[in-house]
Amino acid sequence: MKRRYSTRFFLEQAFKGLTRNGVMSVASIAVLMSCLIVLGIFSLLLLNINVNLDKIAELNEIMVYCEYELTEDQIVEVEEKIKSLDNVGKVKRITKAEALQTMIDESGEYADLYSDITPENNPLCDSFEIIYEDMDGTSVYNLESQLWEIEGVRKINTVYKIAKTIDSLKSGVMLVFIWFLVILFIVSIFVIINTIKLAVYSRKSEITVMRYVGATNGFITLPFLFEGVIIGGAASALAFACQSYIYIYIEKMAANEMQMITVLPYTEVWPLLVLGFLAIGILTGVIGSVASLNKYLKY
Amino acid sequence: MIDFRNVKKFYSNGTVALDGVDLHVDDGEFVFIVGHSGAGKSTMMKLLLREEAASSGTITVGDYELTNIKNKDIPYYRRNLGVVFQDFRLFPNKTVYENVAFAMQVVGTPRAMIKRRVPAILTTVNLAEKMKCFPRELSGGEQQRVALARALANNPKMIIADEPTGNIDPKMSIEIMNLLMKINKLGKTVIVVTHEKNLVDYYKQRVVMLKEGRIIEDRVGGMFQ
Repeated sequence: MKRRYSTRFFLEQAFKGLTRNGVMSVASIAVLMSCLIVLGIFSLLLLNINVNLDKIAELNEIMVYCEYELTEDQIVEVEEKIKSLDNVGKVKRITKAEALQTMIDESGEYADLYSDITPENNPLCDSFEIIYEDMDGTSVYNLESQLWEIEGVRKINTVYKIAKTIDSLKSGVMLVFIWFLVILFIVSIFVIINTIKLAVYSRKSEITVMRYVGATNGFITLPFLFEGVIIGGAASALAFACQSYIYIYIEKMAANEMQMITVLPYTEVWPLLVLGFLAIGILTGVIGSVASLNKYLKY
Repeated sequence: MIDFRNVKKFYSNGTVALDGVDLHVDDGEFVFIVGHSGAGKSTMMKLLLREEAASSGTITVGDYELTNIKNKDIPYYRRNLGVVFQDFRLFPNKTVYENVAFAMQVVGTPRAMIKRRVPAILTTVNLAEKMKCFPRELSGGEQQRVALARALANNPKMIIADEPTGNIDPKMSIEIMNLLMKINKLGKTVIVVTHEKNLVDYYKQRVVMLKEGRIIEDRVGGMFQ
């Protein structure tokens, strides 16, 4: 007699199987969860490193420092000349008073060291932050030469070389990280599948009896498949909770204490985490269960 | 009906487990298959359960030709058999009721019928009051009676018992054998594989004796010599 069984029946069997083999179920969930957390941490690290490298690589900025003794009119004249040059996008003047204030702000507890400096004896100079439009190396050097020709310019700082070096290194760095991630993923899959194999092995005699009483392979497999989904789902949920907690903590810490580092906002990464964890968790749970069962189902 | 025709079974290491066995068992018969260790009893069981396939010859059980049976049909063939093992092979994590009910769930018996039939079968083997117990809470004899109840759950045409009294005390062995005799009287074919001389001699049924993979004696009312 061939007959279709309800999903409810198999779900009941799966839950009974999981609760009555509690130790192995908990072990499988714990291993899967740990692997997911490690994978999650590494993936988020990779994403954030990428963003930070991109940020550095996009530094198309030149700092121009004026002579100390320039008058206000002369400084305005320098600004006008800079603005008139080709490829110059935005020009922002930083007065020597603003430069001093920034220096004091960044000094934190040592700010007192600058208490003797007044607007009259301020040793800093006025400067300009120039954002240029996207250009190749030669054009940047041309712009730099043009800036040197302006009267009243004392010093020019450009990060073009550093930015371009980082940009060229970025693909190599990312490739290494991606390979690490792939290896970590493969190792995790093996660990997860082996743990589930052990769980299935502990129930080998149960499977044998099922075969003797005439259970079809589908009938034997389905509860294990559902168990795989439940184990995967539970591990994903727990891993997501832990990962979110860790990430939010790091995001807050970075915002307060490491402002030079950009951390992707949690609101942007959580959908990736949910999808990734659920896909990996459930897939490995199901594949692990079914692959482990296969050898006990041969005739 | 069971029909073995010139059945041979060789293993890859060169062992000849069965060497040209011819055996015919009619519906409703009670047969002891006896022999010492290595005689071929276990192999015969494995072939009957279609756990293994014969190397040559033909085996027919009812409507199924076991030498040509498709893998997908094996579970449906096994549903015609009730199997009892020496080590009981109960589900340790299921209650007595669930162990018996499971055999019925496998064949798709409606829940309401399972609820009616399982207590009735457990009453037949005197275990109605232990329905909610787990196997670990039962004695060896009781566990074997659960196994027998499970074997009967789907009303099979044939019961195959592999050393059913091997793990239980002599008093319980008689009880199990009496139950098997009772089942046989209800019209079911019963095959008992054993090496317990006293039981075989006491019940005086058909005895098929194996030695080195061959049938050396097949006698109704026979003795284990």
